[in-house]
Amino acid sequence: MTQVMLNALVVGTTYALIALGITIIFSIMKVVNFAHGQLYMIGGFVVYYFNVVFGLPFWFGLVMSFLIVGLLGVAMELFLFRPVMLRVKREEVTMLLAMGTAVFLESLALIVFGEKQRGVPPIATGIVELFGARLPTGRIVVIVVAAMLIAALMAFIGYTKTGRALRAMAQDREATALQGVNLKWLSAMGFGLGTGLAGLSGGLLVAIFAVHTGAGTAISIKAFLMIMIGGAGVLSGAILGGFVLGFLESVGYALLPGSLTFLIIFLIVICFLIVRPNGIMGKPWG
Amino acid sequence: MSAQFSIRDLAVSYGRVRAVKGVSLTAGEGQIISLIGANGAGKSSILRAITGLTAPESGEIWFDGERIDGKGPDQIVARGVAMVPEGRRIFPFMSVRDNLLMGAYRRKDNAGVASDLEGILTRFPRLRERIRQQAGSLSGGEQQMVALGRALMSKPRLLLLDEPSLGIAPIIVREIARFITSINRDNGVSVILVEQNSRMALKLSSHSYVLETGKIALSGPSHELAENDDVRRAYLGG
Repeated sequence: MTQVMLNALVVGTTYALIALGITIIFSIMKVVNFAHGQLYMIGGFVVYYFNVVFGLPFWFGLVMSFLIVGLLGVAMELFLFRPVMLRVKREEVTMLLAMGTAVFLESLALIVFGEKQRGVPPIATGIVELFGARLPTGRIVVIVVAAMLIAALMAFIGYTKTGRALRAMAQDREATALQGVNLKWLSAMGFGLGTGLAGLSGGLLVAIFAVHTGAGTAISIKAFLMIMIGGAGVLSGAILGGFVLGFLESVGYALLPGSLTFLIIFLIVICFLIVRPNGIMGKPWG
Repeated sequence: MSAQFSIRDLAVSYGRVRAVKGVSLTAGEGQIISLIGANGAGKSSILRAITGLTAPESGEIWFDGERIDGKGPDQIVARGVAMVPEGRRIFPFMSVRDNLLMGAYRRKDNAGVASDLEGILTRFPRLRERIRQQAGSLSGGEQQMVALGRALMSKPRLLLLDEPSLGIAPIIVREIARFITSINRDNGVSVILVEQNSRMALKLSSHSYVLETGKIALSGPSHELAENDDVRRAYLGG
């Protein structure tokens, strides 16, 4: 059981990182970013290319996965979402736009990266014994890095001027503009931060699981499960949702035949949403 | 009287509805002027146009010798204009402290920000008691204090107030009225006050404009308007 709990911890911390990225975009832009999983996948390939193809250190690739996928998000906001949102007010339109972007990015990735599964050399060697369970050192490193990134993000959102303005913008855009905030700049930055986190989680997880161009859709679906469990638009809910899903998944894989796990998780989430449609912590974030 | 602020022939439309149809007004440095009139007379639309939240259809807006219409709210705030919007529009899920600090978003002088924050908390001791609470959990009057304090944190030279007395207990309205007078007198901030509470508006301001369906129906020194029979009948209840 300790082994299962440790696995849940590994999966949970990285899932939390994924859910935080999608939550930031949802809160500040009211956009449901269906392309989040594809951005995650691109982040994985960025690390693969820098680390394996160009022979640069893994950590350098990880920083680049944040920067490159973050800039991709800024471009998406500036050239896709903003012009569309200026013209139409209906939410379905941005959802369709996000879905279209997902399909586009996945097809483009297939052309550019090919269909092969790609991985990187282990970031750390050896096995650590923890509470009687055995865990590869690489996974411990991933947990620690993901936890540090979550802490850094929460500190940024909670205690910096820009973080405060992002929270304000999520609550009332006009009132935020009246404080002298340039909404155009901040929206693009917030979008880039959210997608950058997707890239970062993809880049980090390529150290444990390999990446392939089709990996995005499953990640997007899991990300939505997490924010539905935790509560859409709440940062703490995103973290909680990540851990809950990580736990359910790890326990499920340990006890049940593989394909049953997500069938049961979906049933649990559907029943849960009937009782609590806003998730565990459903309220706007702040 | 030098006109620090002026509007010339302003028109504002929402789709096909013309809310403001050719309004001109001026405010001198350190003056309080008020706009009074019924719901839908165009008062809020004028304020929205000044801050750049709504782009004017035509007309000019001048502040400190510079034309500011067509600029975005962030640039207008940077030039020293702050607004307390109708309904307060505080950030409900943020602490009182974070709300006040949002007002200082464009300022770089951290020491000045800290001392101004301290000044506002001294002026409104209730906010000091609730500094860590979520602003949405405060009473209407306390929220209005947060909104006023937030606007002042940007160190404005022109303060726009949209219905500061709306939905607030009379005892707090008096406190807010005293506050408006004191920031005008002590800090030299010019004020444009939009109010349905015409009695309060005429008392606080030196000059007033009466708006009817998007046009200025009457204007003059506030103490004269307060004695005008038409104004008394229409806006002061006899």
